[in-house]
Amino acid sequence: MTRNLGFLVVALVLVASLCEAKIFNPISDSHRSAALQLFSVSDGSFGSLEETYEALRTFEVLGIEKKADTRASTCATVVDTIGSPSSALKDLFQALRVNGILKCELNDEAFKGIMSRIKDAINDAHSLLDYYYSIGGLMLIKDQTSEVAVHLGDADRIFRSIKALSQGDGRWRFSSNNPESSTYAAGVALETLAGVVSLASSEIDHSLIATLKNDIVKLFDGIEKYDDGACYFDEKIIDAHMHQGSLSASSVVVHGLTAFVTAARGSLNLPGDKISGLAKFFLGIGVPGSAKDLYHQIVALACLENSRVSVPLILSLPATVLSVSRKDQLKVRVNTVLGSAAPPLSVKLVQIFSSGSKDASVIDQELKLDPESAVHVLETLPKNVDVGKYIFSFEILLHDPEHKKIYATGGRTTVPLYVTGVISVDHAEIAILDSDLGSVEIQKKLDLSGENAVALSANHLQKLRLSFQLTTPFGRTFKPHQAFLKLRHESGVEHIFVVGSSGKKFEIVLDFLGLVEKFFYLSGRYDIQLTVGDTVMENSFLQLLGYLELDLPDAPEKAARPPPQPVHPYSRYGPKAEITHIFRAPEKRPPRDLSFVFLGLVLLPFFGFVAGLFYLRANLRNLPKSTVPVTFAMLFHLGIAAVLLLYTFFWLKLDLFTTLKALGFLGMFLTFVGHRTLSHLASTSAKLKSA
Amino acid sequence: MAGRKFPTVLLLILNLLSFLPFLTISFSPDHPTDRRILVLLDDLALKSSHSIFFTSLQSRGFDLDFKLADDPSIAVKRYGQYLYDGLILFSPSTDRFGGSLDLEGVLDFVDSGHDLILAAETSASDLIRSVAAECGVDFDEDPSAMVIDHTGYAVSQIEGDHTLIAADDFVQSDVILGSTKIEAPVLFKGTGHSLNPDNSLVLKILSASSSAYSANPASKLSNPPLLTGSAISLVSVVQARNNARIIISGSLDLFSNRLFRSGVQKAGSSYKYEKSGNEQFVTELSKWVFHERGHLKAVNLKHNMVGGTDEPSMYRINDDLEFSVEIYEWTGSSWVPYVANDVQVQFYMMSPYVLKTLSTNEKGLYHTSFKVPDVYGVFQFKVEYQRLGYTGLSLSKQIPVRPFRHNEYERFITTAFPYYGASFSMMAGFFIFSIVYLYNK
Repeated sequence: MTRNLGFLVVALVLVASLCEAKIFNPISDSHRSAALQLFSVSDGSFGSLEETYEALRTFEVLGIEKKADTRASTCATVVDTIGSPSSALKDLFQALRVNGILKCELNDEAFKGIMSRIKDAINDAHSLLDYYYSIGGLMLIKDQTSEVAVHLGDADRIFRSIKALSQGDGRWRFSSNNPESSTYAAGVALETLAGVVSLASSEIDHSLIATLKNDIVKLFDGIEKYDDGACYFDEKIIDAHMHQGSLSASSVVVHGLTAFVTAARGSLNLPGDKISGLAKFFLGIGVPGSAKDLYHQIVALACLENSRVSVPLILSLPATVLSVSRKDQLKVRVNTVLGSAAPPLSVKLVQIFSSGSKDASVIDQELKLDPESAVHVLETLPKNVDVGKYIFSFEILLHDPEHKKIYATGGRTTVPLYVTGVISVDHAEIAILDSDLGSVEIQKKLDLSGENAVALSANHLQKLRLSFQLTTPFGRTFKPHQAFLKLRHESGVEHIFVVGSSGKKFEIVLDFLGLVEKFFYLSGRYDIQLTVGDTVMENSFLQLLGYLELDLPDAPEKAARPPPQPVHPYSRYGPKAEITHIFRAPEKRPPRDLSFVFLGLVLLPFFGFVAGLFYLRANLRNLPKSTVPVTFAMLFHLGIAAVLLLYTFFWLKLDLFTTLKALGFLGMFLTFVGHRTLSHLASTSAKLKSA
Repeated sequence: MAGRKFPTVLLLILNLLSFLPFLTISFSPDHPTDRRILVLLDDLALKSSHSIFFTSLQSRGFDLDFKLADDPSIAVKRYGQYLYDGLILFSPSTDRFGGSLDLEGVLDFVDSGHDLILAAETSASDLIRSVAAECGVDFDEDPSAMVIDHTGYAVSQIEGDHTLIAADDFVQSDVILGSTKIEAPVLFKGTGHSLNPDNSLVLKILSASSSAYSANPASKLSNPPLLTGSAISLVSVVQARNNARIIISGSLDLFSNRLFRSGVQKAGSSYKYEKSGNEQFVTELSKWVFHERGHLKAVNLKHNMVGGTDEPSMYRINDDLEFSVEIYEWTGSSWVPYVANDVQVQFYMMSPYVLKTLSTNEKGLYHTSFKVPDVYGVFQFKVEYQRLGYTGLSLSKQIPVRPFRHNEYERFITTAFPYYGASFSMMAGFFIFSIVYLYNK
C-alpha cells in the first residue's frame, strides 16, 4: 500500500514538474518530428506487426505520409500471416489491424478462411485477451470487406462470459484464474464488448448494456486526479518490461470507452471535467521518448478528439511571461487536443488573483478574436495589473448552444502569468555612521544603473548604511525576492545580508560592533557587492559597489577561526616542482704541487742518509768471505727486500690476508737465514775479540 | 524425434556463442569500460521522458537494466560478485530502495570501484541526500529550495520563475567534458549543493553564476540563503582513490528529453542557441563516468644503470641510472599511448630525494636518467600521477642503495704522497742501513 502511495506521490511530483505551468499545449510539430525519429524504419519495415501498426496508426493520426516505402514489405508480411494456417490469433489480429490502414490486396477467400478460425477461437476462448483478439479480428474483417458477412449469433453468451471477468470497482481481470484486477484489462474489455455489440446479429439485452454503463461510471469514480486538473487511471500491476503504466492503461480505457459509446449509441453520462482532465493528462506528458508511449498518447488523444462522449477543448497560451516594457499582449489560443481549430467561441478573462495577496479581482472581460491567426487577444492588460505574479482565470463560451453537448471545455482554466517590467532604482546611497550619535561621517550617492567604485573605511565602532528605493513602472513600491548585500574579505570569506524594506525604502544598517565575531576579527579590505533580482524584474543586477577598509580589533585567543576556503581544483592537480639532490661537497684538498713539494721534502732525509754513508765511507768489508755464509747473507737481505716489496704490493693491490700469508712464509725463511747470518757474524766478531 | 532435438542443441550452442563476446568485453582491468548498468527509477515514465539519454547509453553498448527504486527484486551483489558495473539513481524521492540495496549497499558498490550517477531534485529524500553526503556533496537543507538566478536564467515564454538556469561555468577539463567545447549553455532546474571543503576528491563541474542563490521561490527570504553565488555547485563529480567515478547532479531534468531538445537563450544575451548544451554535456560526462575516457594504466616500470640493460638488485650511491615507464590511455575500445609532459618520478625515502619530470617519446614511453643520491637506505621509485579527471596512477618499486665498499674508495690520493714517501724512504733507508750496519768495517 505504501509502495503504491509512494508511486502516486512520485508520479504526482513528476507530472507536476513536467507540466509545471499548468498549460497544456495541443499536439504540435514537435510530436511529428519525434514520431519520425521514434518509429524508425530498418530494412524496410518497422519491426513486428504490432510495432508496424503502432507506427502507422500514429502517422495516420498525426497526418504524416510515410506509407509508401514500407508498404511493399509490410503487405507481404500481412499476406503471409493471414494466409498461414499456423499463425497465432494475436498475429492475425495485428495483421488485420495493419491491413486496415495499408489496405493490402487480400482476397475474400483469405478473409473467409481466417473468419472461421476466429469463430472457433471465440468458442474456446478463456481469457480476456483471447476474446479481444478474436472479436477485434472480426470487427476488422467487417470493416475491410463487404463481401463476407460477419455476425455473432450468440452475442449475449459471449457478452456475459466477458462480463463475468469484471470486478466490482469497474476494473477487469485478464482471465478467470488470475485474481488481479487491472485497469488496462478494463479498457481491453470495453473495446471487446463494443465489438460484440456491433457484431451482434440481434439486439443485446438492454440490462446488460445498462450494467456495463454502470461499470464504466464506477471505473471513472476511481480516476486519479492531479492538482492541475489532469486525470488518469492508475495501474496497479506494474511490469518494468511491459511498462503498462498509467499512460497505457488510461489510453486503453479511453480507446475502449469511445469504441463502446460509438457502438452502443446510447448516452453515457460522464462528467466533462474528467474527460478534459484525461486530455490534460495525455497532453501533460509532452513529447514522450518511447515509441510505445507516443502511440498510446496519440491514439488516446485521437479517440478523445473524435469521440461521441465529449470533445475536450484545450486553452493554451503561447506566452505566460508578459513584459510591460515591451507592451506584450495577452494571447490565448483554443484548440482541440490534436491542434485542429475549435468551433466558434469566445474566451473570457474572469478573474485575476495576485499571487502575493489572497484577494481576487473580478474582471469579466471578453478577449478579442483575431480571425487570421485564430488567437484571442487581450489588447491592454487591466488597469490594476502591475508587474508581478498573477493567476489569470479564463472561461470558454461556446457560441452555439448545441456544441455544449459535444465539447468539454473543462470549466475555468487558471494560468499563472508573470508580468515583468523595468524597475527603477533611485535614491541609492551608502554611508558610514558614527555608532553612538548616529551622525553621518561619510555619505556617498550611488548610481545603481551604472558603475560605482566607492572607497570607504570604518572601524568597529561605526556602522555602514546602504539604502535604495525600488519602484515599478506604475509607481508602486517593489519588493524583490533577492536583495543581498555581500561583503567579501580578501581572504575569500564572504558574509551575506538580506536587505530589508521599511516602508518605501530598502535599508540595511550594519553595526560592526555586533558583527566583529561574525567577521572573525578579520581586518582589511572588503568588497561590497549588491544583488537585486526578482522574477518579474527585467533589470535584475549584480553590482560591485566598491570596497570598505575595515579596522577591527585583534582576535582574542578563543575566537572562532574563519572556515577553510575551498582549494582551487586546478592547483591541486598540477605537476610538482622538481627536486634535485644536493650531493655532499668533496673534501677540500691541497693542490697537487704542494703535495709533491712536501713529498720532496719528506724524501730529503733519505738522500741525506745516503750522502752521510758516502761521507763516512761506509764499506762492506765485513762481508763473509766463504761461499756458504755469503749465500746466507745474500738470502737474508733478499728476504728483507722481499718483505719490503710485499709491503709495497700490499699498498698497491694485495689484501691483508694474502699479505699475512706471504709474510708468514717470508718470516720463517728470514728467521732461518737471519739466524745463520747473524750467528756467523757474531762468531766472527767473537773470534776477533778473543784474538 | 532426433531431428527435433538437433535444432534445439544447435540453438543452445548458438545462444552460448552469442554470450561469448559479451563475456569477453565485460568489465576488467584490461577493459575498464562499464557494461552492465542498473537504472533505478522513481517512475517508469522516466524511461520514456529521459529516453534520449538512455538510448545514447544503449547505443554505446551499455546494457541497461531498468528497475523501480522500490522493486523488491533489486540486488547488486550475488554470491560476493557484483552483478552490475554501474548504477544510475534517477529516484530522487525514494526513501528506501527495494530488495537488499540500502545506503551501505550503494557505498559498498562504489567502494568496490563501481560507478554511480545520482540525480536529485527539490525535495530529494533523506536517502539520496545521505548518499550524496557520503560523496562529499551537501544538498541545500531546505527541501523546497531551488537554484534561482535572476540574471543567468534561460529566457522562456512560458517559464517565468527563473529557476530554469542557463549555466555555462564549466570546469576546464578536456578529459571530463570532451575536447569539443560546449558552446550552448546547459539548462538546469533543480536544487543546488555545496562541496565539503574537507573532501579533496569531489570536484565542481558546473557551477552557478555569482548572482545565483538557493531558496524556495515561493516564500519570502528573511535570512540570507545558505548557498549563494558561484559556491553553488550544480553538477559535481567524484573520482575516488579506487578510480570509482560518481556524478552528482541537483537536477534530474538535466537529463530529460525536454531539456535536451529545448533551445536556449541566456538572459541578457540576444543569441538563441537552437539546442541546449545538455545533450553534449551529459553524453560527455557519461563517457567519463563509465570509463570510456580518462582511464590510464602504467606498465613496464623499469630501471637500470646507464649503459646496462638488466635491472640490478641494488644501487650504490652516486650511480647513474635510467628509469622508464609506459603509460597508456583507454579510449573505450583500445589502449593508446598517453601523451603528456608532466609525468614525474620520485626517488623516495620518507621524502622525495629526486623528483624529475619524465620525457616522452610520444608513444607511451616515459623515461629519464639521474644520479642516485649519496644517501644510502631503502629507496622507492614512485610515480604518483594525479591529474584532473584522469584515473590516478600510483606506482612504486623498492630498491636499496648501499654506500661504497671499503675497496671502492679512491686510492693513491695525491695529498697523501708525503706520507707514502715517508714510509717508503724509511723502508729503503732501513734496507740500506741493515746492510751497512752488518757489514761495515
